[in-house]
Amino acid sequence: MLRFAFLVWVVILLGAVTASAAEKNKPLPKDLPPYGPLKPFTAPQVSARTLSNGLTLWLVPRPGFPKVSFAVSVRGGLASDPKDRPGLSQLITDAIDQGTKTRTARQIAEELQAAGGDLSGEALPDSIVMSTSVLSSKAEAGLTVLADVLQNATFPDSEVELAKRNAAENLRSQEADPAFLARRALAKALFANHPYSVISATQESIREATADDLRHEYGKRFRPDQAVLVAVGDFQPEKLVATVESLLGKWAAPGEPPVAVIPKPSRPAPHEIFYVERQGSVQTNILVGTLGPKRGEPDYASTRVANAIYGGMFGSRLTLNIREDKGYTYSPWSALASRRQAAILETSAAVRNEVTGASLNEIDYELNRMATTEPGPEEVSQAQRYLTGTRALELQSQAAVARELAQLWIFGLPAEELGTESARIQKVTAKDLAQVGSKYFPASKQTIVAVGEKKVIEEQLAPFGLSVEQAPKVE
Amino acid sequence: MKSLRWLGMIVCLPVAAITASGQQTWRVPAVTKKLANGLVVVISEDHSAPTFGLCIAYGIGFRLEPEGRTGFAHLFEHMMFEGTPEAPKGTFDRVVEGGGGWINGDTRWDFTEYIDTAPVAALDPVLWLEADRLKTLDFSPENLENQRKVVEEEVRVNMLNQPYGLFFAIDLPGKAFNKFPNAHNFYGDFRDLDAANIQDVKAFYEHYYAPNNAVLCVAGDVQPDAVLEKVEKYFGGISRRQVPPKPDVSEAPQTAERRATQSDKFATVPALAIGYRMPPRKSHDAVVGAVVGELLHNGQASLLYQALVKEKQVALSVDGGVNWPLGNPFEYDGPTLMTSFIVYPGKFKENEVLSAYDAVISGLSAKGPSSTEMDRIRTKMRSDWYGQLEIPVERASVLAHATLFDGDPQRANEIPDELANVTPEEVEAFARQYLVSKNRTIIDRVPAPGAGEKSEAGEKGAQ
Repeated sequence: MLRFAFLVWVVILLGAVTASAAEKNKPLPKDLPPYGPLKPFTAPQVSARTLSNGLTLWLVPRPGFPKVSFAVSVRGGLASDPKDRPGLSQLITDAIDQGTKTRTARQIAEELQAAGGDLSGEALPDSIVMSTSVLSSKAEAGLTVLADVLQNATFPDSEVELAKRNAAENLRSQEADPAFLARRALAKALFANHPYSVISATQESIREATADDLRHEYGKRFRPDQAVLVAVGDFQPEKLVATVESLLGKWAAPGEPPVAVIPKPSRPAPHEIFYVERQGSVQTNILVGTLGPKRGEPDYASTRVANAIYGGMFGSRLTLNIREDKGYTYSPWSALASRRQAAILETSAAVRNEVTGASLNEIDYELNRMATTEPGPEEVSQAQRYLTGTRALELQSQAAVARELAQLWIFGLPAEELGTESARIQKVTAKDLAQVGSKYFPASKQTIVAVGEKKVIEEQLAPFGLSVEQAPKVE
Repeated sequence: MKSLRWLGMIVCLPVAAITASGQQTWRVPAVTKKLANGLVVVISEDHSAPTFGLCIAYGIGFRLEPEGRTGFAHLFEHMMFEGTPEAPKGTFDRVVEGGGGWINGDTRWDFTEYIDTAPVAALDPVLWLEADRLKTLDFSPENLENQRKVVEEEVRVNMLNQPYGLFFAIDLPGKAFNKFPNAHNFYGDFRDLDAANIQDVKAFYEHYYAPNNAVLCVAGDVQPDAVLEKVEKYFGGISRRQVPPKPDVSEAPQTAERRATQSDKFATVPALAIGYRMPPRKSHDAVVGAVVGELLHNGQASLLYQALVKEKQVALSVDGGVNWPLGNPFEYDGPTLMTSFIVYPGKFKENEVLSAYDAVISGLSAKGPSSTEMDRIRTKMRSDWYGQLEIPVERASVLAHATLFDGDPQRANEIPDELANVTPEEVEAFARQYLVSKNRTIIDRVPAPGAGEKSEAGEKGAQ
């Protein structure tokens, strides 16, 4: 019946931090005190159970701070939407809390407010996540509403109509945002016809979607054997489990098979420039990306360290170059963003029109530097300490731990990853970085998206010698 | 610049079955000491993770930046990260990121704060670096030129290249208030940003960046005595400075509704911003105002969301509150607004949205909130208030602001009790007195012809 397991405690040491290790070219101030003694960081301890209906529970009791965060992930997100209904998962999250067999939309919102929370739903590439944080004294009330929404959402016709109208207007509004246009164009350019090419609904799919479509997909995906419930915070595990049993124990999986696993994309990133015209833009939004190692693959840890050195922290090469030296941009960043079956290694910068070409030139330079040269030992240890330390900082928040665990489960990874990932980061060597550098970072392996004034983009990006084409339309 | 959303409240609640500790109210510890040079130090000990959060908040925000230098307080904030003679540009980031953490800063109406967080091993050097940049800066014209460009890109990315261009945060107070401090564009006109020179940077630093104009708060896995000793060692030798007296920023009472219409070159759907002038901050009415702001705007259960988005369906989204979006209803020191920001479908006219809005306001004025509505918002505000005290770096900010504006970090623990005592009758009386048309300003922002294609955003209407 109940499977119960305490996963091991994972202790992360935050690396050998000494002031001298932080030295780059210049010495540190002579009076600067050194870092203090290391303190071990203990990753959250997760107790795992499976209910008889197949629902996985991952619990992290943390007495003290008087709230509880819940996150529920079900398998099947944007990449599992029907081909003729791209982005349907977003409509599911918009309408899922707009009525159940026994509660109206208003009652759902009010009962959650009375527990101290809001319900948020998010459609991700591989999952739909529902989450809320409530006062621990009201945990049962919060969980009751959440459980109802998971099992008994009715998608009332009138609410679906309203959700569709609002989604259509929201999409129009998002299309005014250059960062959104860039993300959408890059996904399309990188993934072509693969399901990961869809990051959002379209006007057509919103118009065509029916309440029955939503009910059908909801029925298919919201099933206990394809879901994890994560709870983090101030609760007694046995009491919480009893409550979950009573609220979700009768949730039954349908007979039909669960959502199919998405295939891995196999096509390499096209080395081309795609533009999205946005008249009146005073900046060009540059988004450069390629396929990188997904979470769980051997290159993942090394590529995260490489990314930190390249553009993933404030002291990174990219930020020091195009912001702190040249002042081209306020907000450059790079990231390794993993889905379950693929990851995008991406670089972003919003730059004033006049330096569009100059900025891409510097981005290419920094990418190629990562691809062809081995980072120095100081840079490597700096990035490793940054990644392990900021990981400890992120995991201070209940909601962040809940979300992160839900994501690990969707990726088919164990909860221990919360701790072991940092341990792997620490083992990365300069040689590993050279290897992933040449594999993922060459400028010649990147797809480039530019959103802004067409004339600006064409004039300044033509000298790069690539085809500059309009991004494939997303209709 | 970043925006935080506020909220808050503590009430005694029955203990439910699931909770582990069974606590009914929750307070954060805070010990305070004032150094001889006037620096106020606050420590909040919390050993739940081996980390710390630090906030040093200075009593200067964009309200008091000089005329002809709009955007300067924020530009100056950037200069605080550009190094000192002892610790040149890049040092602070190198040390804190190498210690596994990060730093940031933000500028608001009446304070500028610098926040640092990392595993505790980095606390000592971080304290030293914060003290170092309170002694002097590297007043480098090259770095100023660099950061001027960075800030101009920040203004472009957040304002000039975005739909709505932050009009609810910049243009609305610009229309609602008359005095420069309360009404100017705090992100900065490029003419003013371009005119700023290194003498301005020096003068601003000498005027306002003084230990006697600052609160330093450290929260997390620390021993108060040990931290106090370090702070005394690093900050104790910094001299007091003469801080200019605060000018009178109070406004003459508003006597008539103010309206404007703007066109927006990027927006595809129109939006309304409505701002009511709020009572003076240090008054019981201000506490009532905080509750009213949340009753109206907090989440899907809020009065405005339910009426405008769900029932009448004249709006796509509603957001807002007191001192929104630049802080909570307790962290400012001058005239402020309760702002509502409403995005609505283009098929509706401004007045249709406004009459639905007014119906909600008159409902509050006529019969106040129900006791269930009050109970719910109390619980939600308490939960949200706790939420901002969870992690050390945010807790350090909240305690530093409470100390800066009320002289005592315990205000952060007391505010929830004050809010808990607000009655439905007080809400009703507040609505009658303050939520009236002659006390408000409305800007309607509509897509320019050929929305998202061309035409400059600019004000067409007038009072």
